[in-house]
Amino acid sequence: MSTLPMEHGLFLVAILFSIGLIGVLVRRNLLFMLMSVEIMLNAVGLAFIVVGSRWGQADGQVMFLLILTLAAAEVGVGLGLLLQINRRHRSLDVDVLNQMQE
Amino acid sequence: MLAMIILIPLLPLLGFMILVLARKYLTDRISAFVGVGSIGLSAILVAVVAYTYFSQDPEPLRFQLWTWMSVRGFSAEFGFYIDALAVTMMLIITGIGFLIHLYSVGYMAGDPGFPRFFAYMNLFIAAMLILVMADNLVLLFLGWEGVGLCSYLLIGFWYDNPENGYAARKAFVVTRIGDTAMMLGLFFLYRELGHLDIQAMLESAVELWPVGTDPAFWAALLLFGGAVGKSAQLPLQTWLPDAMAGPTPISALIHAATMVTAGVYLIARTHELFILAPDVQQMVAILGALTLLMSAFTALTQSDIKRVLAYSTMSQIGYMFLALGVGAWSAAIFHLMTHAFFKALLFLTAGAVILAVHHEQNIFKMGGLWRRMPLTFTIFLIGSCALVALPFTSGYYSKHEILAAAYQVHWCFWLAGVIGALLTAVYTSRLIIIAFFGRQNTEPHECKEPVIMVPLIILAVLALFGALLQTPLESVFVPAFAEPEQPSSVVAFIETVVPFIGIAIAYLCFYENPYYAKIKERFLPRLGYVGKLLDTERVAELKIYSFLASGWGMDRLYDILFVNPFKMLAAKNKNDVVDDVYTGVTILSRGLYSIFSWTQNGQLRRYAWVLGLGAVVVIGVGILA
Repeated sequence: MSTLPMEHGLFLVAILFSIGLIGVLVRRNLLFMLMSVEIMLNAVGLAFIVVGSRWGQADGQVMFLLILTLAAAEVGVGLGLLLQINRRHRSLDVDVLNQMQE
Repeated sequence: MLAMIILIPLLPLLGFMILVLARKYLTDRISAFVGVGSIGLSAILVAVVAYTYFSQDPEPLRFQLWTWMSVRGFSAEFGFYIDALAVTMMLIITGIGFLIHLYSVGYMAGDPGFPRFFAYMNLFIAAMLILVMADNLVLLFLGWEGVGLCSYLLIGFWYDNPENGYAARKAFVVTRIGDTAMMLGLFFLYRELGHLDIQAMLESAVELWPVGTDPAFWAALLLFGGAVGKSAQLPLQTWLPDAMAGPTPISALIHAATMVTAGVYLIARTHELFILAPDVQQMVAILGALTLLMSAFTALTQSDIKRVLAYSTMSQIGYMFLALGVGAWSAAIFHLMTHAFFKALLFLTAGAVILAVHHEQNIFKMGGLWRRMPLTFTIFLIGSCALVALPFTSGYYSKHEILAAAYQVHWCFWLAGVIGALLTAVYTSRLIIIAFFGRQNTEPHECKEPVIMVPLIILAVLALFGALLQTPLESVFVPAFAEPEQPSSVVAFIETVVPFIGIAIAYLCFYENPYYAKIKERFLPRLGYVGKLLDTERVAELKIYSFLASGWGMDRLYDILFVNPFKMLAAKNKNDVVDDVYTGVTILSRGLYSIFSWTQNGQLRRYAWVLGLGAVVVIGVGILA
């Protein structure tokens, strides 16, 4: 089995994480921000797997399973909130939704 | 005996409590009954105590009632010390005080503050009694401050008028300066001698301090400072003339029985200390002589009947200080007593005159009163004779004792006393001639109510024959001179004749008589400046007259020296410097608040940015460091 060098895997992780972060920072639509957060979570999960396979440990994959569950739960709650916000304000633009400061 | 002693100050205090707590429910009749009755009872008790005390061998009595305070080795007892001096003072305070209370019932009738008036008067008497009966300086100081408080309350009794409030504050603040000196004196004595019990303190002072040493000097000087403030002597005398703002019975009470005599009493009580400090004692004599001359000159120029009497009081207290200064302790107390008689009489009679002429106090607007109110006039004349010290009145004997002692110490003191006597005669005669003789300017209604007239008549009798009541004080005071030399007949003759000269001068200057007027017109211009001074019609235009009339410009001097700089500082410091610290704290926290509130703006993406950057920084620091 040809092994991928760890550096390549981690490089991919960094790219994925950056894409996710930039998405969170620049998108104004809450739905896309949520999706960007998912990308970031998956980047972290990938990092665990790459590092786990480098040392031949199963812990990395266990952690990925945990992250996956967490992401599923988070998406469930997040989407629920999203629906509520959309129903109430008829908008998912965060710059419009900054009424929390009052 | 003990029960009686306790009741003496307690009765006026109880009267005060009743009047203050129940003043809304008491009719004027009942409050007069309570107010006068309490003093009357305590006067009777004092008389009994005095009789039993003087009839047996006069040993000082001590009563320790309870420990007032006890803090880390310092303790002050609540106890009374009764000796001949205290009994004499108690007799004066309650006796004169009772007559003044009785008179006040008539004088203050119909005043809306009637119960309040008697409440304060009772408290005044109680405080003064505690002052003279105290066996330690702390308790004495309690009475001392109580007297100061009551004088403030009573001078400002008619508080609707802001001027009265000003006069009351002035009296309080000026005497406070003296009180501070006295308090420092107490601290000093406690530090040096370890206790404040008067007798023990004096004993150990005599033991530890040789004559003329520094600690004795400072202790005596500080106590003297307190006495100067209370007794309105130079340089703290400015409050007394303004204190005339109060009702007339108050003036009588302050000037005769209480308050201003407290300073004389304090020095007499601690006279052993003053003997240890001859410098201070000399200062007492000099300040007394100066005050007596200065205020006598000022009394010559006043036009308000009460202010004439006020300056006269200052002058007479000056005599007492002179006596204390030359070591004639018992003469000072004797003069205090006779002065209490005739000055109370003069003030109360002046009050009767003021009532009769509808609250007019300017003597130039009275005139010719003697025909319309002969009884009041006679009484006033008796009081004046005693004040001027005409032979065989009470004032004659006391003043001569003082002058004899002064002559023995230094002829300067004697001369000051004699000139003072001359001036006393002039200003008193001037007052009588202008107010009671001459043209009649108003229609007086003589008040002949017995409640006003009876005290006046009793006081008139006392002013004439009060010298017979001289109490034996040998047990308290060691005689100043081992063998008092009898003044030569020339000296005695001068002393006796001087008042008559004064009366003659006043008669020539102030009595309106066409014959004299012609002589005056002829001769006065030839006398130059003296002629101008003697020309009573135009003397008021002279600068020196207004200078004297303003009390030697002392008020203005103090305004320039103390009041105005203080006001200036206060104006400069309008926004309190100390406050800046606290406003600084608020400004700082407001600034921080505005910075942090800027970050919390609800922009979710900005939060994310900050979060991301923060994470980068933290991780970066973690890796690099």
